[in-house]
Amino acid sequence: MATRRSGEQMISLSIDGRAVQVLPGATIWEAARLLGIGLPVLCHDPRLEPVGVCRLCLVEVGEPKLTAACVRGAEDGMEVRTSSERLEACRRGLVELLLSDYPVDASDRPKTGSDALVELAAELGVDWPARRWSGETGEAPGSRTEPAGGIPAGDGRALDGTSKVIFVDHQACILCDRCIRGCDDLQVNEVMGRTGKGYQTSIAFDLDVPMGESTCVSCGECEKVCPTGALSLVGWEGPPNDAAGSGDVGWEVL
Amino acid sequence: MRLIRELEGLQAERGCLDEASLRELSSRLGVPLYRLEGLVSFYPHFRTEPAPPVTISVCRDMSCHLAGPEHVADALREELGGTEGLAVEEASCLGCCELAPAARVNGHPCQLQDSAELASSMAGGDPGLGGDERDEREWKSDPYGEAERYGVLRAALESPSPTDEAERIVDALQESGLRGMGGAGFPTGLKWKLVRGEEARPKYVVCNADESEPGTFKDRVIMEELPHLVVEGIALGAFVVGAEKGIIYLRHEYGRAKAALEAELDRARVAGLLGSGVLGSDFSLEIEIFVSPGGYILGEETALLEALEDRRGEPRNKPPFPGQVGLRGRPTLMNNVETLALVPGILRRGVPWWQSAGRDGHAGLKFISVSGHVEKPGVYEIPTGTAVAELIELAGGVSGGRALKAFAPGGASSNFLPADHADVPIDFATIEERGSMMGSGALVVVAEGTPLLPLAANVVRFFRNESCGKCVPCRLGTQKATEMIEATLESGVPLDWSVIRKLNLLLGETSICGLGYVALNPLISVAEHWPEEVPGCSAEAPE
Repeated sequence: MATRRSGEQMISLSIDGRAVQVLPGATIWEAARLLGIGLPVLCHDPRLEPVGVCRLCLVEVGEPKLTAACVRGAEDGMEVRTSSERLEACRRGLVELLLSDYPVDASDRPKTGSDALVELAAELGVDWPARRWSGETGEAPGSRTEPAGGIPAGDGRALDGTSKVIFVDHQACILCDRCIRGCDDLQVNEVMGRTGKGYQTSIAFDLDVPMGESTCVSCGECEKVCPTGALSLVGWEGPPNDAAGSGDVGWEVL
Repeated sequence: MRLIRELEGLQAERGCLDEASLRELSSRLGVPLYRLEGLVSFYPHFRTEPAPPVTISVCRDMSCHLAGPEHVADALREELGGTEGLAVEEASCLGCCELAPAARVNGHPCQLQDSAELASSMAGGDPGLGGDERDEREWKSDPYGEAERYGVLRAALESPSPTDEAERIVDALQESGLRGMGGAGFPTGLKWKLVRGEEARPKYVVCNADESEPGTFKDRVIMEELPHLVVEGIALGAFVVGAEKGIIYLRHEYGRAKAALEAELDRARVAGLLGSGVLGSDFSLEIEIFVSPGGYILGEETALLEALEDRRGEPRNKPPFPGQVGLRGRPTLMNNVETLALVPGILRRGVPWWQSAGRDGHAGLKFISVSGHVEKPGVYEIPTGTAVAELIELAGGVSGGRALKAFAPGGASSNFLPADHADVPIDFATIEERGSMMGSGALVVVAEGTPLLPLAANVVRFFRNESCGKCVPCRLGTQKATEMIEATLESGVPLDWSVIRKLNLLLGETSICGLGYVALNPLISVAEHWPEEVPGCSAEAPE
């Protein structure tokens, strides 16, 4: 977050009834963080330009429509509410929508971070049958989906194991665009983007070639910023200090 | 604009954008491959494989759904199966709903029943069908005899004080009550005033001619028949806000409109109405046409701007609005074709004329696209306040002498209303009071005997097909709702109405843009007025 320069006019707003001052250009999400209010996010990361696509950080600002705190600038006199029945219903519903397409065993994949979607589902009390992959059913890991909140389950997205370093599970991708911004903006490798449109959209490498055949340099940034089991490390058993030692970080919260 | 035009040019030259061509373009322009992939896969106009010599594009959307049997494209494919060099594809609303069921053969609009014959006539090479014979119509919105055109612009430029003149125009538009005719209905005078008040330079004027809402084709007719009013409207907007650059963002199916606009721009240039120092004044203006690479979502104003900036047409988070931060981050006045075309008439004849042009206290004139089950579908210019029932009579009545069952007053995204609302006067507020909206001014008429759940499914499927995929609720919500409705249609299993209501809540409350907000409206309105046709819907008020 920007630091204060002398002479710059501060913006005063209130969040959940608490007053806060921020520099011009700060977002509502940043202002909330100053107050220790953590808004749920899947697509946002403070190192990346916000895109406001997961919609989980929506807040009420007294306008007819909800607004995404990660992209909306703080304004003088704004009165922000970060929780209400309406917001909770929306957040739960969004998580259910994502889970209805999410492999039930995605959290088995070795990650350098936790599976933020599965954690958030647990936090919001969304009933969804996360499980370990057993191999007994003959299904590939990361392919089985279940309905969530009555929303029918999807399936059929591809797995891409062509890279020696990173495994891509498109079914577990929530299109938060973090990997894309990590690849193109943070590392300036300029390999990743979106391909397709609507429900057919997916992340892609170069001209939508398998990751292992792309110009990817295996820097690992995409895996590091990925909040779900979509991008995971190949042949890695999990962090050494993980008590379970199985690499299923994020599983414990269930 | 440059990159998309490069892709268009390359495709025209090579027949398609294959891998080799894209790699070549990437290294020539220094643009990463992923950006080209993002564009080529997003816009329907781009293809990565060569097109066969003849392609029949069959419209699958609302008005054509009402006019034709299910799965017409499949039937046609079967009928013509094996014809060498011929492909049949389904397409989203083609913007020629008066031809429903409509198709295009190599870009030429026609009725579906004529498409096979047209296709075989093209097999030996495109005969370049002109098809330009059409009755000259008189439009009340045109205040000019041919020699008087651009009179308002001329008068404004001759004014000794351009500042006073610009403010007078803003005042007149505000007093007239003119609202945006693209769907959102934002007050036009206020928009012009806000953009005029912005300090950043340069500013831009964009004419949104990406009309793609199923049932809507009035802008196409206005551009074809009244292009001088569109060009003058853009020029007046530029004069008022202080812009020197205008862009007409045109959907790529509108070839005739493009030709008419190009001819008009040429005439205006020759007459000194465009270019540097218009008519010897300090005001300069260039207007160019940008042909959209396709997709309904580009009609959303910020998606349109993204396309103009060579990105995927995904709507931006708002605020800021285009009036403050628009094209290339600059203040941008964006208006719909009809809105701009109405401006010269209002200023020429005065606000009292405009206010008296409507009926029963409603102000102004309105272009309405009438399609669906009527005898004479087409574009009608009516006094605002005309009743829906009267407009249906103007259009020859409900087709086949049937009774009226339902109508959508504002295109695919407007709620269906039952026949007993046909007395509603056509105006923004009056239609809203009945629980629907004016939208893009597209009256879609549904005759008695038409099942409404398949029609609602058709509309929800359209929004699923046209969702850009940027935000979670719209990308997933439209797909899940479509799957649920299709399962009900196929097997009769009741819809889980609590889940439909939840999806509607998510789409309405959490989507980034209007496509998501409205996606389930038609279904919800069918459930509200005809619950017996929607298995599983509950009597509870939809959220």
